[in-house]
Amino acid sequence: MKTLPASYLPLILGIIVLGIPSCSKKAVRSGGDAQALQEEMARGEMAKGGAKGGASSSFPDTSFSGREDANSLRGLDRNPSEERLGGNGGNASSQGGAGRANGVIAKADSGAAARQLAEIRAEQVASVAAGLRDVFFTYDSFSITEDGRHALSGNAEWARSNPYAQLKIEGHCDERGTSAYNLVLGEKRAKAVRNYLVELGVVPTHLSVVSYGKERPFCTEHTEACYSQNRRGHLVVKTVK
Amino acid sequence: MTFRAAVSVILSVSIGVVWIIESGAADVFLEATRPDFQRIPLGIAAIENAGGSESPEGRVKLGTRIEEVLKADVRRSQVFALVDLPSLGIKVAQLGAEPDPSFKQAAENGVSVIVWGKAGIKNGSKDADLSMDGYVYDTGSNEVVGGKRYVGSTSVARLMAHRFADELVFRYTGEPGIARTKIAYVSELGTARELFVMDYDGYEPRQLTADGFLNLMPRWSPDRRFLVFTTYRNRNTQDIDMIELATGKRWTLVAQGGLNITPVFSPDGNALAYASSHEGNAELYRLDTRTKAVQRLTTNAAGDLSPSWSPSGREIAFTSDRGGGPQIFLMSADGSNVRRLTFDGDYNAAPAWSPRGNWIAYVCRTPKKEYKLCVITPDGQKHLQLTAGLGVDDSPSWSPDGRHLVFSSTVDGKSQIYMINADGKDLERITFVGTHNSAPSWSPAS
Repeated sequence: MKTLPASYLPLILGIIVLGIPSCSKKAVRSGGDAQALQEEMARGEMAKGGAKGGASSSFPDTSFSGREDANSLRGLDRNPSEERLGGNGGNASSQGGAGRANGVIAKADSGAAARQLAEIRAEQVASVAAGLRDVFFTYDSFSITEDGRHALSGNAEWARSNPYAQLKIEGHCDERGTSAYNLVLGEKRAKAVRNYLVELGVVPTHLSVVSYGKERPFCTEHTEACYSQNRRGHLVVKTVK
Repeated sequence: MTFRAAVSVILSVSIGVVWIIESGAADVFLEATRPDFQRIPLGIAAIENAGGSESPEGRVKLGTRIEEVLKADVRRSQVFALVDLPSLGIKVAQLGAEPDPSFKQAAENGVSVIVWGKAGIKNGSKDADLSMDGYVYDTGSNEVVGGKRYVGSTSVARLMAHRFADELVFRYTGEPGIARTKIAYVSELGTARELFVMDYDGYEPRQLTADGFLNLMPRWSPDRRFLVFTTYRNRNTQDIDMIELATGKRWTLVAQGGLNITPVFSPDGNALAYASSHEGNAELYRLDTRTKAVQRLTTNAAGDLSPSWSPSGREIAFTSDRGGGPQIFLMSADGSNVRRLTFDGDYNAAPAWSPRGNWIAYVCRTPKKEYKLCVITPDGQKHLQLTAGLGVDDSPSWSPDGRHLVFSSTVDGKSQIYMINADGKDLERITFVGTHNSAPSWSPAS
């Protein structure tokens, strides 16, 4: 299982210390009033999305007119005129840049991947330091097992004694079944874990859920031993808001 | 026909499908997907290598490469039967802009169409412009019915073949062909999953996102300018984003908290259907892309997801576990008139409505607990299993001509992308690079 090199310890302490100010501010402001926090979050969503209901008002029109474009076929010709093919998008263009709209750009790495990886590592380190234990599920199921309840009672104790910590509960699934339905199943698992932690007295606003379905497996073999590792509610100490 | 009967037939003939052939004459222009449609015998004499036809890598001559791509396109079209001309004794020694005298023999051998051409670097061109001429001879009329002349950089050699193949399909069916279509998909880079787009035959992959986390399940806009997909903002919340392929510009369309998955444009592009759990459990919603108004379509304690529009845009197929396990349901596009479509098996999901309207493909769990591709008619009267064997099949997506499906499968170990005919024949793997390729979405035709 996971081991923690001693060299990570200063990092853990730093993360915990750095995490406290922003968490404490939120905890004080919400004052345990979930309603107020939710309203505040909703306002944030509106500011970001720019419209009520979380839908953005600013994206371009996607209506399809069905009209012919520069990409359309022109038919065979007994005396064919020259057709210039250009770009990487598979376009024919009669003049210069026509057909550009269907070109495909190639995206360069902006360093986002390295940033994400660093943040994931920081979360892992903080979670291991907290001694959080994961919950495992049976095939197709989102019921918490006896072992799961045992693991969660320890997690709940940690959460109650660390009131400034924000916990993220990730729902994971094995590779069987469709990607889409496993995202729904993963959310059910994550919510089952959250609900049980709340039963054990953890403040709901300190918990968030996210489903990764089968998209971030812990193990990639096609075996039951591996599948059982991937059917999991994974608890993470949030180190980034 | 029962599901079990279909399965036993499949197992006995490996991959294949029993089609129920209806009466009526084949109509080449409208019904080329019919099982009794006779493919048009077409021979490709040669795409000759004209002067300066070395490819940039110097190994395969450009004319030869174009000929190979063209033959693969013609074979996949399902409109033509590719005839091997030399084995019929048809000589192709002299090729110009005029038909070779030996072409007359072709008609006697049942060949309907002969294609030939030449390709090479244009004389005197400073930009190393590749030029390709292609001609089409029809044995019925015993004349050259037309041709094409393409120019471009050597990097568009494959595109020349694809475009010429589509012109052939267009000439003989009135449909645009699929050789220039593209497939959007998800590919693993380290622990991240990013969006890519490739040609329909698996070549020319291009990376679209570099977010370093998860981007899932892309779908095309009807005008092929945009993809919609699920993205994990800061790894903790799922939003639905749209990306413009030509520029990489992105917009967040849905950011509501909870699951926000399986977005898909209506055929007219005026609506986006998607699943969101921001009001509790996963429900289907409809975002009007012009007014930006959101309408809730389902109200149910169970999970509703994976909407797929009928070609008319009047109906939506979707997955729901309101009966326990996931099953396919249909409803009107306003959320009314919900009825269950699948009844065989305890796991049916990821519906994809054919652009021709006559089939809905989906992932079915077999009695052996394998996840395979099935198809069912929208009236539920006929349903068949398309794939068999090991591996988890997922994410079926139709070609715009309704003759093919693309899907992901772990049959070879890691998830890769495969193409299969709508009748279950000609299984072809199209991705070979990378540890995980999944969630293919076939573009509309142009």
